[in-house]
Amino acid sequence: MNLTLSHLIALLPLLIVCVTVIVVMLGIAWRRHHVVTASLTTIGLNAALVSLLAVLTVTPIRVSPLLLVDNYAVLYMALILIAGLASTTLAHAYLEGFDDQKEEFYMLLGCSVLGGLTMVASDHMLSLFFGLELLSVPLYGMAAYAYRTRLSLESGIKYMVLSAAASAFLLFGMALLYAESGSLAFADLGARLTEGGGHASWLLMGIGMMVIAMAFKLSLVPFHLWTADVYEGAPAPVTAFLATVSKIAVFALLMRLFMSAPVTDIASLHTIVAIIAFLSMMVGNLMALRQDNIKRLMGYSSIGHLGYLLTVVVASDDLALLTTGIYLITYVATTLATFGVIALVSSPWQGSDVASLKFYRGLFWRRPYLAAVMTVMMLSLAGIPMTAGFIGKFYVLATGVEAQLWWLVAGVIIGSALSLYYYLRVMVMLYLHPTEEEQYDASSDWGQRAGGIMVILLALAVLVLGIYPQPMIMLVSSAILG
Amino acid sequence: MTLPWIPLLTFLGVFVPALAIRGGRTVCALATATAPAVALGLVLFFYLGHDGDEVMRTSLQWLPAMGLELAFRLDGLSLLFLLLILGIGLLIILYTRYYLSEQDSMSRFYAFLMLFMTAMVGIVTSDNLLLLWGFWELTSISSFLLISFWSHETTARKGARMAMTVTGAGGLALLAGIMLIGKVVGTYDMGTVLESHDLITASPLYPAIIVLVLLGAFTKSAQFPFHFWLPHAMAAPTPVSAYLHSATMVKAGIFLMLRLHPALSGTELWTVIVTLTGLVTMVYGAWFAFLKTDLKGILAFSTISHLGLITSLLGLGNSQAMIAALFHIINHALFKASLFMAAGIIDHEAGTRDVRKLGGLYRLMPITTVLTCIATVSMAGLPPLNGFISKEMFFTEALASQQFGGLAWIVPLLAGLGGLLSVAYSLRLAYATFFRRPRQEPPKTPHEPPWPMRFPVELLVALCIIVGLVPTLPQSPILEDAVRATVSGEMPEFHLALWHGINPALLLSMAVIAGGIVLHLLHRHMMRFNRQFKPQDARYIFEGFVQRLVALCQRLIDRLENGSLQRYMFLLMAVSVLAMALGLADLDMLAGSLGQQALDPIVILGAALLIMGGVLTAALHRYRLISLLMLSVVGLVVALTFARFSAPDLALTQLSVEVVTMILLMLALFFLPQKTPKESSGARVVRDVLIATGFGGAVASLNFAVLTRDLNSISNFFIDQSVPGGGGHNVVNVILVDFRGFDTLGEITVLAIAGLAIFKLLNRLRLFMPATDMEGRLWSNDRHPTLLMVVSQTLLPLALLVSFFIFLRGHNQPGGGFIAGLITAVALILLYMSRGVEWAQQRLDFQFQPIAIAGVALSTFTGLCSWLFGYPFLTSTFDHFHLPLIGDIELASALIFDGGIYLAVVGATLMILANLGKLTTAHRPNKDMP
Repeated sequence: MNLTLSHLIALLPLLIVCVTVIVVMLGIAWRRHHVVTASLTTIGLNAALVSLLAVLTVTPIRVSPLLLVDNYAVLYMALILIAGLASTTLAHAYLEGFDDQKEEFYMLLGCSVLGGLTMVASDHMLSLFFGLELLSVPLYGMAAYAYRTRLSLESGIKYMVLSAAASAFLLFGMALLYAESGSLAFADLGARLTEGGGHASWLLMGIGMMVIAMAFKLSLVPFHLWTADVYEGAPAPVTAFLATVSKIAVFALLMRLFMSAPVTDIASLHTIVAIIAFLSMMVGNLMALRQDNIKRLMGYSSIGHLGYLLTVVVASDDLALLTTGIYLITYVATTLATFGVIALVSSPWQGSDVASLKFYRGLFWRRPYLAAVMTVMMLSLAGIPMTAGFIGKFYVLATGVEAQLWWLVAGVIIGSALSLYYYLRVMVMLYLHPTEEEQYDASSDWGQRAGGIMVILLALAVLVLGIYPQPMIMLVSSAILG
Repeated sequence: MTLPWIPLLTFLGVFVPALAIRGGRTVCALATATAPAVALGLVLFFYLGHDGDEVMRTSLQWLPAMGLELAFRLDGLSLLFLLLILGIGLLIILYTRYYLSEQDSMSRFYAFLMLFMTAMVGIVTSDNLLLLWGFWELTSISSFLLISFWSHETTARKGARMAMTVTGAGGLALLAGIMLIGKVVGTYDMGTVLESHDLITASPLYPAIIVLVLLGAFTKSAQFPFHFWLPHAMAAPTPVSAYLHSATMVKAGIFLMLRLHPALSGTELWTVIVTLTGLVTMVYGAWFAFLKTDLKGILAFSTISHLGLITSLLGLGNSQAMIAALFHIINHALFKASLFMAAGIIDHEAGTRDVRKLGGLYRLMPITTVLTCIATVSMAGLPPLNGFISKEMFFTEALASQQFGGLAWIVPLLAGLGGLLSVAYSLRLAYATFFRRPRQEPPKTPHEPPWPMRFPVELLVALCIIVGLVPTLPQSPILEDAVRATVSGEMPEFHLALWHGINPALLLSMAVIAGGIVLHLLHRHMMRFNRQFKPQDARYIFEGFVQRLVALCQRLIDRLENGSLQRYMFLLMAVSVLAMALGLADLDMLAGSLGQQALDPIVILGAALLIMGGVLTAALHRYRLISLLMLSVVGLVVALTFARFSAPDLALTQLSVEVVTMILLMLALFFLPQKTPKESSGARVVRDVLIATGFGGAVASLNFAVLTRDLNSISNFFIDQSVPGGGGHNVVNVILVDFRGFDTLGEITVLAIAGLAIFKLLNRLRLFMPATDMEGRLWSNDRHPTLLMVVSQTLLPLALLVSFFIFLRGHNQPGGGFIAGLITAVALILLYMSRGVEWAQQRLDFQFQPIAIAGVALSTFTGLCSWLFGYPFLTSTFDHFHLPLIGDIELASALIFDGGIYLAVVGATLMILANLGKLTTAHRPNKDMP
């Protein structure tokens, strides 16, 4: 096929990020400068974000058999780019005190974003795998970026080894599907599924293996084991990135796969996914009860949240895509701001992150606005009305009720009730009177720094989306229909 | 459009205290009171200005996508509750001014209180179920803030968290219930929902709806068995208790049942669940109120008991019962708020709330004593106060209830028991606090509180008396409208009076009063009786439950997530195998249409070698060198397998790749310890063997499935097109250089880059090279064995010739640039090894980097050339030439491309291998030196 101008326009965000990565890389080779590198990355990601407007003029368009750039892809591209930008600003503040080479981080981040962008636009196994690896491989490096600290290095290695195993499953699954349908495109796979017959067991096996790999990346029970360790070990901006970009990309892709290939019509797979969802809600929230480390706590809480979201996959109806979009937007905003606060308190880097809950005791009395942001985020994660988290949870419940998935609805409710307990604990901790132990704080001018401004903006967004989510709902629904 | 102003005003009131606190505490209290006062005026204005039957409604679009509207309504029910919420709220504001001590932040307290008031006002005025739910959650949060107001106290924090967890969880259940209602009715609009009684009760979802909605209501209204949070919420400042537990928070659940009464009630399910829960709660609460010694504890359990009373009336559900319920809501709010405030005064003045330490207060605080006693009489349900009237109505309904058939006697029995107990605890409260001789001095000598602090109590007690004596007063305007809003159909006839003549209810009342007095006299015995039971503190049970749950999680975490990568890997693999096992166990289903191939000895031998090699590699992995040798067996057999199944070109490629890989591994291994210490226990080894077997089995059965199927893959296309399209008989080579030329170009680029990166990484790296093994034996006396030197030097030209031959013939027969490159590399490496790096470098005095890059450039250039002829990138061409002597020769442009591959492979491989070899030469181990 020939590339036309509109194809190039459709690829613009990918190209811009690509160029950014190369420029950053060459820039580092030429002369190291932290601020310049961070600025270059920010500019590049912003440019990519702006270029999405241009992309909208040509959507939907298929660029090679591998990529399908439609409004759905554009929506999640925007989300990924925003999350990438947020992580960049956080990383800038965080790495200021880092006692090793700081600049390569941005290159890794750019590569990973590129992988995410590829994934959300892919409707072909090849681009899926390519995107997934491009997303994951830099993440290993990012997780182990503070490699002199034991936890960081350990988390990087754990993530790499387990992730490689998951990738092996993915490849094996794809191979089986290819052997069966003779094509790697999602659409052909869907056609093959609907026409039935053939070796159904192969299809089942192949999709099952792919589900295992995806469940691993989304840290769903029982493939979640790495989550807490990696969340804890990775530097805070990396955790923010991992908790958002990789989840958005994989979930968006999972939805696209399951929408074009109605897999959940197969009874056994339907049951398996439902069980995974239910287990994730329960295990994630139960495990989080005990955590005294806020990053681990967030790790387990993310398991629970992804469990809620998986309800949508089980339902796979008209509402599902809408719910996915809304939930991901609200969840990403909330998670970014939460890790933003953690990163700001841990910034600049001083050997390890300030993640133990006891360090947050009495934060309100020292940094009232930061504590307020954290409070709003905890409320949003708990799904309290007037915050964005509620809107997401409402839609998940609505999807569950609509599809009559009573067990999962019960799971969401029980899980939320459990989660209330530990989110409250964090919240209460912020307002207690501080003890005389050593204290860590965000620098006093955090509000004027890029990272701080970003966190405040996100907090405002969480509130605004919670109070008046109509524009977001319209945006997402137009993205699905277009 | 003015209706939304009521919640908005109270909401604006949230911000007033913070601004007004600069003017002093009195100014702050007054300023805070403004907003609810105006709102109260507004309510009265609306109410007086509209016709009785009509419901005021107003709605604004908010979230049409979710069915959420900013809709408010004002009907009789809302009005009744609004009067309670705002009226008592104002009194609480006044009372708080004198209650809070100097250390407490008054502005914070008022802000929380106003937030809570907003939530309550929102609940009772919402005209949309979702909006109602939003305010419902807001009450949970704001009550959390209020209860934990004294956050330095652990009991306050724990009590607040318990209240929040229980009511919050109930709220989530309610949300699910509301969503089910929305699904059945199709809208969340209150008006429509209230008219859809038949639709909802006929729906198969009805039981779920009832259970979920009632879960929400029961947790909020502290019904058994969710009552336990309420006594612990008493850790809050007394104004909070007075407000939350008389008129507002706990009444929210009651309100919800009332509000949805027209839509949900009237079925057997509703009656049974609600009535029985209410009655059990009533008796349970009253019994514990009787046993408590803390003044606020008594009131808390009494609240639970009275809420149970109201709930059971709602369960009975006929119109008379509804009237009784509504009336009792008013009465309970009046006497309970005054009692709580009185308890606060006593606490404030005497410094304790423990009735065992109090006593004889009537001498010191006569006015407070009178006020409290009147309210207590009302609480006990004695004439001539308001409590008596509503209790009479309750007894009447209990005696008349028919819904339980043969078990109908249980309703009046429980009702009577509850009434009896409430007489007893009321007596005890009054007697022990005011009239009994004090056993010990209270911490402070009490005296009458300042007048404004007592004023709210006085006002409420006055209302109690007025309502008791003239019960028709609230009946006409307020109660009738409220009844109209909750009872569907005809407006029932009713009149409230103290005296209805002698009837069964009166007789029951008298019996209950007498019994209550007797029970009170037996109080000491009751206490002794109770002491035989283990004290059950709900906080310990709740916390214990939480702790056990947490401990269970901790055990799970320790078991599953101990941070061990091996364990994670094991679990990942085990789960995956389990998930796939079922599908893969059924070999018959997996078998395809092709027959199974016959086994011949060679294949069996190969398989055996392969298995042996694999097993030994794993088993001997601690001895790296031997393990590596075993690995090479595996590689070799795989290469031979290709040859056996007629793919000589693949076999050749695999073979040369194998050799290079082995050399690379050898060079790398050189720097690692020769042995690894034993780390795995026997059990772990067995486990790993099992997992490996399972996985091997899974892969084997998949292989079986693939091999027994006829695969229509694209390979036939390549085989067909190889000669006409690419001009070569070696399909693999044609694919590499022609069909998939683009891929190959990418690959060699990557290879070259990887080589460069390794070159760069190893640059200036110097590693210690041991000359002996760990036991101190010399590796070798002769670093460069002569025989090897001679052989390798002899082989070099031969190998180069062979590689050239293979390169040239590659297009048609097994061979090609890739293999040729590897052969060249191997030959050169052999030279390096036999002669040492210094020697080889002196003779091969050129760099390998340019070679690799030149290779990539050559390939790219070939591709670009096709543009000159107007073809797309990497189009290849071929032709046959007839040369003298040699004969017919076919030359394809792909050959040049292949040359590029050759150069890139040689350059990159040598860049890697030669540099790895170089690491060791620079440093001789100096510890062997004498």
